[in-house]
Amino acid sequence: MGFVWHIAVRYFRSTRADAHIRALSTLTAGGLAVGTAALVLALAALAGFQNLLLEDLARHTPALQIELGGGSIPGSAGRGAGMTDPVRGLADLAAATNGVAGVQELLYARGWLADDDRPFAVEVLGYEKTPPPWIPVQGEATPGLIVPVSVALRMGLAVGDRVRVVSPRPGLTPVGPQPRTRMLPVDLIYRSDRAEEADDPVLVPLEQASALFARGDRRLDLTLAPEADPEQIGDFLRQGIDPAVARVTTWREANRALLFVLRLEKGLVFSAVALIIAVASFALLAALSMVLSSKRAEVGVLAAMGAPPPRLQRVFLLLGALLSVGGAGFGGAAGAALATFLDRYRVISTPSDVYVVDYVPFLVRGTDVLVVLVVTVLFTAAAAVLGARKASLLHPVEAMRSART
Amino acid sequence: MIAASGVTKAYQDGAVRRQVLRGVDLEVSRGETAAIVGPSGSGKSTLLNILGALDAPDAGSVRVDGVDLTASRPSALAGFRNRSLGFVFQFHQLLPDFTALENVMMPGRIAGRPTSSLAARAHTLLDQVGLADRAGAFPQQLSGGERQRIAICRALVLEPAVLLADEPTGNLDSRSGEEVLELLDTLRKRRDTTVVLVTHNPEVAKRCGMVLRLDGGRLTRSCPQSP
Repeated sequence: MGFVWHIAVRYFRSTRADAHIRALSTLTAGGLAVGTAALVLALAALAGFQNLLLEDLARHTPALQIELGGGSIPGSAGRGAGMTDPVRGLADLAAATNGVAGVQELLYARGWLADDDRPFAVEVLGYEKTPPPWIPVQGEATPGLIVPVSVALRMGLAVGDRVRVVSPRPGLTPVGPQPRTRMLPVDLIYRSDRAEEADDPVLVPLEQASALFARGDRRLDLTLAPEADPEQIGDFLRQGIDPAVARVTTWREANRALLFVLRLEKGLVFSAVALIIAVASFALLAALSMVLSSKRAEVGVLAAMGAPPPRLQRVFLLLGALLSVGGAGFGGAAGAALATFLDRYRVISTPSDVYVVDYVPFLVRGTDVLVVLVVTVLFTAAAAVLGARKASLLHPVEAMRSART
Repeated sequence: MIAASGVTKAYQDGAVRRQVLRGVDLEVSRGETAAIVGPSGSGKSTLLNILGALDAPDAGSVRVDGVDLTASRPSALAGFRNRSLGFVFQFHQLLPDFTALENVMMPGRIAGRPTSSLAARAHTLLDQVGLADRAGAFPQQLSGGERQRIAICRALVLEPAVLLADEPTGNLDSRSGEEVLELLDTLRKRRDTTVVLVTHNPEVAKRCGMVLRLDGGRLTRSCPQSP
């Protein structure tokens, strides 16, 4: 054991002997334990909720999407330009890209569903092969309509009914311009469980939708291979597509605002709870100052015997580490264990009619625990450096004189 | 071995600047024992601290064992104190959290010496001062005389060229004081160590080869018989 360890470990043991120093060192260790445990728990709860939210997002948002201009796509210089059918060309380009597992063309438009009495304005979504994943309908495309329950209730529709789909795009007839319409059967009625149920779209097969709403907003949703990186593929596609023709967006970019709020929330919670650790670090500084005060003459003797100031500083830095590592380590481990327990046994319940889940989920991430420990180390190191600096600045003669006064 | 020239030192005492040393010149040869005597507050301990590189003079130069203390950096001075100087303080200044053996070993630990050889050396010294059986005792379990003998062992563990002692018997009864002085003399002769000690006690000064009287900030040499 080297000199620094030898002295620091002995001083650490001696903190048990003095009632005031013992109280302060216990407060330090306890405060750090509570602080790190609270921080790990808070981050685990946030991570649990955010994980659920992101899983939900992943289900409802394609990993990558290519948004196209409405109807007529201007000529461009990129790989997506100069094709007879630019949408098909872009779809082929995306499908041929490494890591892309599937491409689905979608068309968004506004139109009407009309029964015998009156028309109802609806959002229309033309889909190609299967309904998009956020529409809770299983199976392949149907030849008819897939109608949200909100529209079905308003119009009194049932499966098998036939209804007219009306487009604002006029068609020229011998008697002048007339709205384009198609009479289609209702094949399925779905409930999305979204808060914005009124905006749920009516799903129309793409071929019919294109014929009716040629100028609708068109989009390609890309499904990626499990290990593929959306950012990397997005960058690759951007290089080949003229931004005037189409815009490539990853799911992160599409949900940028939400992800920012999640990060902000995490940062604010982290900062608030980290204050406990800051307070515990002040206790550490006080404990170190008291140890130094009681060992002042001894530090002077060590300096007189030739211990250089940086080594005396390291003694108190190490003492600070010894006083804090137990509390921080215990708190981190206890917080992680408690979070795991609370998640596994779903101890804290929430009203399922209000929240998406009926319990508070906890997710302990190694990186979160690491960040907590790093922050704890930074706080305590700052406190220890301040305390240790005093030790290195002691004048040996004055320090030894203090033992006699 | 020790050469000081024109050493001055003043302290700020409130609004008053107190001149403690006024151009002190001093020379002590290898193996010699010098006693610094003088009234209380005459600057004896200040001079000893300057000779021990624990304090810096305001002016003048100090050379100890070939090293110019006034021209060295603090880190170099720390190493020099560890290697070349041994200190014995009036109040022994043993470290209470460490045993007698650990206290004796401490300068060697600072120097980074191997623990096993250091422990052997410390045991030998403790044996020489008759405290081999007290190696595991803590300072608070030892008598005043025993503590001072431990402090002497600690000062000598690295076989320094110079031993500086500030009132080494000042806190001891006459018998313990006599034992400590005998011990210092024996060890000095064995290693040819230069010893400078500060004392109030004329009997202690009488035993030294050179007596230096410090009064009014000036040092005068006097014969040992009339300190």
